[in-house]
Amino acid sequence: MFTLPQKEFRMTTACPGSDSIQDLPSNKGDGLERECSRKPDQKLLKFYGVGDPAAELSSSSPYLSSRGSVIKWFWDSAEEGYRTYHMDEYDEDKNPSGIINLGTSENKLCFDLLSRRVSPTAPLSGIPSSKGLSSLGFPGMLPPESRLLASVAPVLESGDPPLPWGPRSLPSGLSQSDMLQVEPALLQYPDWRGHLFLREEVARFLSFYCRSPAPLKPENVVVLNGCASLFSALATVLCEAGEAFLIPAPYYGAITQHVYLYGNVRLVCVYLDSEVTGLETRPFQLTVEKLEMALQGANSEGVKVKGLILINPQNPLGDIYSPGELQEYLEFAKRHELHVMVDEVYMLSVFEESAGYRSVLSLERLPDPQRTHVMWATSKDFGMSGLRFGTLYTENRAVATAVASLCRYHGLSGLVQYQMAQLLRDHDWINQVYLPENHARLKAAHTYVSEDLRALGIPFVSRGAGFFIWVDLRKYLPEATFEEEVLLWRRFLENKVLLSFGKAFECKEPGWFRLVFSDKTHRLHLGMQRVRQVLEGQPQLADGAPPHQIQEPQGPHR
Amino acid sequence: MRDQALRYRSIHTQLMEMVLTLQQTVEDHIMQLTTRPQQRDLALEEQWHRQAIREQEALLGRLLFQIVSFLPAGAPGDQSVQPPCTSTDSRGDVGGGQPVQANRQTGQMFYQESDFENTVISYDLSNRGIDISALYHLSFRDYDTYQGNKYHKDKNTLGYINLGTSENKLCTDLLAERLSQSDMTYVDEDLLQYTDWRGQPFLRKEVARFLTFYCKTPKPLDPENVVILNGCSAVFSALAMVLCDPGEAFLVPTPSYGGFAFSTHLYAKVKLVPVHLESQVTEANGYPFQLTVDKLEHTLLRAKIEGKKVRGLVLINPQNPLGDVYSQDSMMEYLEFAKKYNLHVIVDEMYMLSVFDEAITFHSVLSMKSLPDPNKTHVIWGASKDFCISGFRFGALYTHNREVASAMSCFGYLHSISGIAQYKLRQLLQDREWIDNIYLPSYHFRLQEAHRYVTRKLKASKVPFLNRGSGLYVWINLKQYLDPCTFEEELLLHRRFLDHKLILSPGKTFMCKEPGWFRLIFAARPHLLRNAMRRFQQVLVEQAQERTVKQLEDAMKEEVSTPQPEAPASPALRKS
Repeated sequence: MFTLPQKEFRMTTACPGSDSIQDLPSNKGDGLERECSRKPDQKLLKFYGVGDPAAELSSSSPYLSSRGSVIKWFWDSAEEGYRTYHMDEYDEDKNPSGIINLGTSENKLCFDLLSRRVSPTAPLSGIPSSKGLSSLGFPGMLPPESRLLASVAPVLESGDPPLPWGPRSLPSGLSQSDMLQVEPALLQYPDWRGHLFLREEVARFLSFYCRSPAPLKPENVVVLNGCASLFSALATVLCEAGEAFLIPAPYYGAITQHVYLYGNVRLVCVYLDSEVTGLETRPFQLTVEKLEMALQGANSEGVKVKGLILINPQNPLGDIYSPGELQEYLEFAKRHELHVMVDEVYMLSVFEESAGYRSVLSLERLPDPQRTHVMWATSKDFGMSGLRFGTLYTENRAVATAVASLCRYHGLSGLVQYQMAQLLRDHDWINQVYLPENHARLKAAHTYVSEDLRALGIPFVSRGAGFFIWVDLRKYLPEATFEEEVLLWRRFLENKVLLSFGKAFECKEPGWFRLVFSDKTHRLHLGMQRVRQVLEGQPQLADGAPPHQIQEPQGPHR
Repeated sequence: MRDQALRYRSIHTQLMEMVLTLQQTVEDHIMQLTTRPQQRDLALEEQWHRQAIREQEALLGRLLFQIVSFLPAGAPGDQSVQPPCTSTDSRGDVGGGQPVQANRQTGQMFYQESDFENTVISYDLSNRGIDISALYHLSFRDYDTYQGNKYHKDKNTLGYINLGTSENKLCTDLLAERLSQSDMTYVDEDLLQYTDWRGQPFLRKEVARFLTFYCKTPKPLDPENVVILNGCSAVFSALAMVLCDPGEAFLVPTPSYGGFAFSTHLYAKVKLVPVHLESQVTEANGYPFQLTVDKLEHTLLRAKIEGKKVRGLVLINPQNPLGDVYSQDSMMEYLEFAKKYNLHVIVDEMYMLSVFDEAITFHSVLSMKSLPDPNKTHVIWGASKDFCISGFRFGALYTHNREVASAMSCFGYLHSISGIAQYKLRQLLQDREWIDNIYLPSYHFRLQEAHRYVTRKLKASKVPFLNRGSGLYVWINLKQYLDPCTFEEELLLHRRFLDHKLILSPGKTFMCKEPGWFRLIFAARPHLLRNAMRRFQQVLVEQAQERTVKQLEDAMKEEVSTPQPEAPASPALRKS
């Protein structure tokens, strides 16, 4: 868990979004001083904040450069919770009193399915799939079509011209398993954008699962070792040092580091409110007005904003942007000549069909295709955060080329690329086995946690996507401060359950927590029990609850 | 419409900025030209002077080219205008995202400028983004050419043979076989989940054990001092970030592996200060290109006078491209020197298991009983070269300095390796029996054979070279084929190799001070090597013929012009 100092500003000048200020209490004049104490009954008058990762650091090292010292500070401060967790990890048998991690957004529900697909030799443990074993990728159980083509696939040699296994062919070593192939060419320096066979597969995969109106092109694909690297590379090639991206907050906090480490790029937060005002229909709704305000604010400070980062489905809110909203945000970006990076890393983790998720690649017409860059990875949707595979899709050749120029530093092993291609091409398995099962398990876990929360009378935000619920624990803070938030977080940790506090997501309201539910049943149950213990032992603010306390979301927002 | 107006305005501003920079550079340039060298060592002064002028010329060329690129497509004289962008957005009319070609004529005048042709110039990229694209293109142009048209003994006999990229292709068969064995396929939940960003604990433990054994360390190495990233380039890039601030520098004895310059510049914007070594054997030089503390000191002090902030020294051992292996004593001297000046030392031991001459003993810096400054000594090793798996993306840092290790760990987010690959690496590195009894003996035998073959051919062609017993390469001297002996001619010879579909690396890419040296990779399969050497000899024959013709022509011209006393600028005279 780490937090960054943010310079906080209140808009005092008239701005397009001033409507939303109007219905605030009339303490505007003295808001600036008083907001520092963040009394719960006070409206928070912040609309944006410019991050400055280097601000907090005072001590420097005789061995490190000054940026090296900042980076080290990042590392040291970032991992408190994670490190504590790693020293005392829960294990059903070996360490039943260890810490349960409901903080890291990982999908631990489908490892049984994956291990069988990725490594057919792995022992068959875990719950058998309700769909049976027919298409789990066992040797000899592959779709007949693939088997047919496999027999005609050419034998490869190192030094071959562009890797010859093309679409829909399997290499000759199939008799062992489609995942065990080790061709010399896979062990050599690759095309740094990613092996062609993988980029072809990614283009095909995204065309299908993003429902793009026209087939996507392999030459617009760049493959790297995860979205973190992609954020870093994009920040570097799109911004000069010190320039910035807009990002609606709360957001997945690690992005701050990703764009800062090499790129020295900052994030300008577009603060969202839990309170539903004006024309908004849900808590923490992103509106163009808020974007405009934040952009103006940053400009007025002389911060040059080069782009906008959108996470859809959103992390930590689990929110989903409708096609109409997406279009508006993209139009906003086009008006200001901003790049838009759309992070769709949870695109296949929408377990509520009714949520109506649409990828930005499915839009009939992008307002500014040359400045729209889409990111996807297997970390979340395939529960393989340790596999390190991320991909960029952009029609902008200059951007693709520049990112690829950095791929020497962000490449992934040829063998892993091969396995990825095998996995992504297996639409039968994905459609018939993996996704239905994954969604069913996510939904079950989500239902369990949300019912628990409801029983506790705890409001939360969740719309049926992602691995987490955004929980409102403000009423458990004696004072609405981030200090109190951390204290509560520590209490959870002391009771052996790790959550993520809102400050780590740059949430401007203290008291929000992200709770990850995509864990095995017994761990989840135990984790929730520990959460409950802490909250029940925690004095609640009975009547002093914030007047604008969020109502429990209704309908589809639940 | 408004977009367009804004766009033009921003182009205008950028253009103005460039013109201003250009003006400044021109002024500096004139200053340099008009200022006479003063007192001190005249020869040295003269040399810096020329160096400075060259740098400014390069900058000028580049600025000019950028300006040309910024002008809307269709500028007079530009015959290679690209078709306009098909997208309907406002950028189509200024050629956004389209490659802009430089005029070939000017490309001949400025080497640096010609390198920017075909470079993608885009208004969507930041300046450093443009820089990154351009530098990549410049550095890996040959590699990309090769990727697009590789030699294959049956399917593409006219394709490029790449003896330029230091990639080990001698033992891919052994590795492919080993990596296909059943102990490699294991997958468990931990391998698929987030892990320790410094590398999986099991792999760091194995790397520590592996290095302890093969570097013959006095004490077992500590896994906590190991940071694992996806390749040595990544390790180097991250080290440059955490040890230097932008604009600061590392000393590096040259000729030296060119990838360093790339890795330090690309993200980190760290400079390299070359410690130029000479081929001539003199009193100070016991052998060609010998690194001495005198040279290190001299270069360091000069850099200080020039206001450069030097933070460290980079040593490659075994050296690339020279193939030298530093003796323990020399290494100790270099380390003492670094300590004296409070410099970090990065020791790249990438080729430590590629010492194939049994008479040579490699001493890892980790084998020293005591390091002069252990907190500032950082060792890099990876499996790319020694295990023929450059596509595996694995590099390791070993450092006693926990602060450096912590800061480096942060880069694990951006340079992480797949858990599955980490597992395979562990399996590979722990199989000591296979490494010692099967892999290394075969590997060294094949290196010896390939080296023997290539050096025999070189001797037959009377090409001088450094006969060393380590690495995947020989450093060869083709000065006799250059007339005059300049980097321009070196480049032309390089192009002639390319015309014959053979890629070698010219000395300039290693920051070699003397034109005419090339690095030739011999770690290739026999049929490929035979073919390559045939092409190589062909080029030399052609080059020699052309030279003779040129000399004859010059001689004839000289005869004609002898009666006229005022012809001192004739090429024939310049040559002598």
